[in-house]
Amino acid sequence: MRHFIAAALAAGSLLVASQAFAADYKIMAPAAPGGGWDQTARTMQAALQDEKISPSVQVINVPGAGGTIGLAQFVNQSSGDADALIVGGYVMVGAILTNGSPVTLDQVTPIARLTGEFEAIVVPANSDIKDMAGLVAKLKENPGGVSWGGGSAGGTDHITAGLVAKAVGVDPTKVNYIAFSGGGEALAAILGGQVTVGISGYSEFSAQIAAGQLRLLGISSDEKVAGIEGPTFKEGGVDVAIQNWRMVAAAPGISDEQKAAISADVEKMVKSESWKKAVADKGWADTYLAGDEFAAQLKEDTAATESILKDIGLVK
Amino acid sequence: MSVRDDTTTIQRRPDRAAFAIALVLAIASIAIAWSTYHAGGMASTQPVGPKTVPYIVAACLFGLALWTAAEAWRGDFPEREEQQTAPILWVVGGLIVQMLTIKTVGFSLATALMFTATAYAFNERRIWLTLPFGLVFCFLVWLAFARGLQLSLPAGPLERLF
Amino acid sequence: MNTFELLGQGLLTALQWSNLLYALIGVTLGTAVGVLPGIGPALTVALLLPVTYRLDPAGSLIMFAGIYYGGMYGGSTTSILLNTPGESASIVTALEGNKMARQGRGGPALATAAIGSFIAGLVATLGLAFIAPWVVQFALSFGPSEYFALMLLAFMTVSAAFGESTLRGLTALFIGLALGLIGIDQLTGQTRLAMGTPNLFDGISVTTLAVALFAIGETIAVVASRTSMDEKVEAVKGSVWMTKEDWRRSWKSWLRGTAIGFPIGAMPAGGADVSSFLSYSAEKQFSKHPEEFGKGAIEGVAGPEAANNASAAGTLVPLLTLGLPTTATAAIMLAGFQQFGLQPGPLLFVSNATLVWGLIASLLVANFMLLVLNLPLIGLWVRLLTIPRPWLYAGILTFATLGTIGASASTFMVGPLPTSFELGLLLLFGVLGYMLRRFGYPIAPVVVGLILGPMAERSLRQALQISQGDPTVLVHSWISIVLILLAFAAVLVPMILRARGKGQMLAAMAGDED
Repeated sequence: MRHFIAAALAAGSLLVASQAFAADYKIMAPAAPGGGWDQTARTMQAALQDEKISPSVQVINVPGAGGTIGLAQFVNQSSGDADALIVGGYVMVGAILTNGSPVTLDQVTPIARLTGEFEAIVVPANSDIKDMAGLVAKLKENPGGVSWGGGSAGGTDHITAGLVAKAVGVDPTKVNYIAFSGGGEALAAILGGQVTVGISGYSEFSAQIAAGQLRLLGISSDEKVAGIEGPTFKEGGVDVAIQNWRMVAAAPGISDEQKAAISADVEKMVKSESWKKAVADKGWADTYLAGDEFAAQLKEDTAATESILKDIGLVK
Repeated sequence: MSVRDDTTTIQRRPDRAAFAIALVLAIASIAIAWSTYHAGGMASTQPVGPKTVPYIVAACLFGLALWTAAEAWRGDFPEREEQQTAPILWVVGGLIVQMLTIKTVGFSLATALMFTATAYAFNERRIWLTLPFGLVFCFLVWLAFARGLQLSLPAGPLERLF
Repeated sequence: MNTFELLGQGLLTALQWSNLLYALIGVTLGTAVGVLPGIGPALTVALLLPVTYRLDPAGSLIMFAGIYYGGMYGGSTTSILLNTPGESASIVTALEGNKMARQGRGGPALATAAIGSFIAGLVATLGLAFIAPWVVQFALSFGPSEYFALMLLAFMTVSAAFGESTLRGLTALFIGLALGLIGIDQLTGQTRLAMGTPNLFDGISVTTLAVALFAIGETIAVVASRTSMDEKVEAVKGSVWMTKEDWRRSWKSWLRGTAIGFPIGAMPAGGADVSSFLSYSAEKQFSKHPEEFGKGAIEGVAGPEAANNASAAGTLVPLLTLGLPTTATAAIMLAGFQQFGLQPGPLLFVSNATLVWGLIASLLVANFMLLVLNLPLIGLWVRLLTIPRPWLYAGILTFATLGTIGASASTFMVGPLPTSFELGLLLLFGVLGYMLRRFGYPIAPVVVGLILGPMAERSLRQALQISQGDPTVLVHSWISIVLILLAFAAVLVPMILRARGKGQMLAAMAGDED
């Protein structure tokens, strides 16, 4: 056992020295260590500490059920706690509906949208589908014949596929959506020609698109995004725009002054060099949106998601 | 397995514990089938839907329950050595105490209690030695992992002092 | 050749004194955390990655390589000595390795694991350097129907791990399969058997189940048994080192393990656990001493340990060439690469040649350093067994619960009292693990069922969904056909041999089974 202790201490001492010991913000990442929300939380942690906005930030991982377990725990235990923050995202909106979560995003205090990612539809380079119009034609001819490879059922990828079908007048329940675990497995299926089209976050495909192994049919942004060559869905004649965003929210039941103080800290963090550098390094798009505008956007997204999940048949 | 001839008649009798296992397996299989049948859900157009595999697993478990019952009847289960119950209760009790208290009193205290209970189960009765050692050990572990490596471990009054 | 020049350049960088020091720190940290019972490589890498952030790119890359290989390596030590694997890939190592340790042969078991890991790491890292594009092409030809065939093969051959009774082996497997059903069905989003508990929506975590069944179950079984409480453990009987016989029996297993582990590690749905299961069954098939399996056969340690390390290098093939993370550990590493400014993908070898070759060279250096570090340590590790039982098992349970709580801080209310849900699961499965041991059920098939069951179901349903319900899709490619034939052969050949009275070994085993 002595070896264990010695080893563990050696590991610890490297970092202990640089840590201050007064707890300040506690950020809940409703995901396992290493996942997207966890990375967002830990990047915030680093930026808040480096910029001396908060002397010490702690990250708590509560994974499960699309973030709804962490959300429920956050709402139940942090009420009125001005130090408590939670990271979340669009995936939560869908998960709350499909899992019948008793707790919703209405019960937290949204602070700001931090980053976002657009959905991309791709085909292998040797596919006979050349553009959005080609895909739409195939879809109309035989909806079941077009297999879509993406992430878990009811996730952002599935919702986007449903929205595309609905927008071009195809019954969303007929969409032959093949759920893979995570974007990686879906990417393999697309490259291997196992499915007709792939749908996932743009960054999952960006390297293959650049290398010419995949053809980008469209991207789900409202307008062209700098650095991404290829049409938006709207330019391709499909009236769908969707963003897979990540946000930070505060606890329910905090005062307006407390909310303002947190918002100011988050704004300071987002404008800092260390945050900007980390976001750029990780290839995230900074889509910062705060205050009432974000709250309004959140409401809009929730309503649109609920209606499409009903159309697909995942929510009754 | 080999059973000595002269004891065959004594050993080869119905094994009650094995019957209990068969019963548990049967109940589990029925529970799986029942819960799958009553789960809502959309009609699947696929030949193999979300309910197919649960039904297959339930059916196989039921078959295994029958097989277990047959072996139990013949007394085919291996001989079991006699067990000491008290130490088991100490280990399990220590884990239960840790589970119940960890969120309230923090990692170090709760785990130190479990540490002491486990050592006690293994015949280390010097609690005055194991409890302080466990506490210091668990606190050092907490310090290394929670502070040093940023693992999220519950903090209690003791950890908040630092 | 260009590749050689690039690799040479990378090696020159990696061999600078400061970088060697970083490599040493990396492998030491990786081994130190990875060796703790209940903490597997994924958690090790996630925890230690931030340690590398403050160094310069070359240094952090090298330290990172050390942490990755060190974490992979560390898992086998406690599996062998204490029968407490920290993750699913070292479960089969525990099967034979722990039996060896109980006979006082812990030293040779650790040595064959260390040398096997080194050889597998070396061959597979060279494979990564020279044949990555072909391997990835092969891996990509696996679609859902091929995976289904592979899972079928794994199920059929893994029965080698069933132990003495077919009934009890099958029951253990089906307990695992039933546990695997719990949670949200990935293909339809429907909740199955979660009993309305949101904490179960994501299913039972493989790590929690493995740690509970082995570490907790083992502790209870030891404490409950009068004989094992009185038993004096002899840490070393005979030599700590491998005998000539051990070498003779190990080297083929190392190579076979590498050959199985590397390609399977490169597959999107493969991974270290599947390759270690397959390697174990292969060793049992090829061994000249099949009767020793289950009683401490050295091949059963050498093969799977080589396979699991080769698949660790195999995982890097799709990660570097496609930007495709195939395991939890790989997904965490992808995040790590991004902080070095590496964007894994098809253009990586062109656009970031120096860094990639630096990484590959670092892996070779880290691998070598692990061997140098671990061989002398074996004598020390074996002495773990001389720690008095109360302190040893209390320590094991501390780390087993630490890993579980750290991965998930979810709270479960028991009345007004907040408690840890994961610890509750750990305790429940720990008691299950004890009951299984008590009644002579093998433990490994439970975990095998939990891992392979959902994968098999998913790939079958994906295949049928893509073909819109046409079952011929399952035999549409030669890969599927070959795998399915192999699966049937694995069942039929021993039966035929037995029926014809050939292979006395098999017949003797069959006699044992009935």
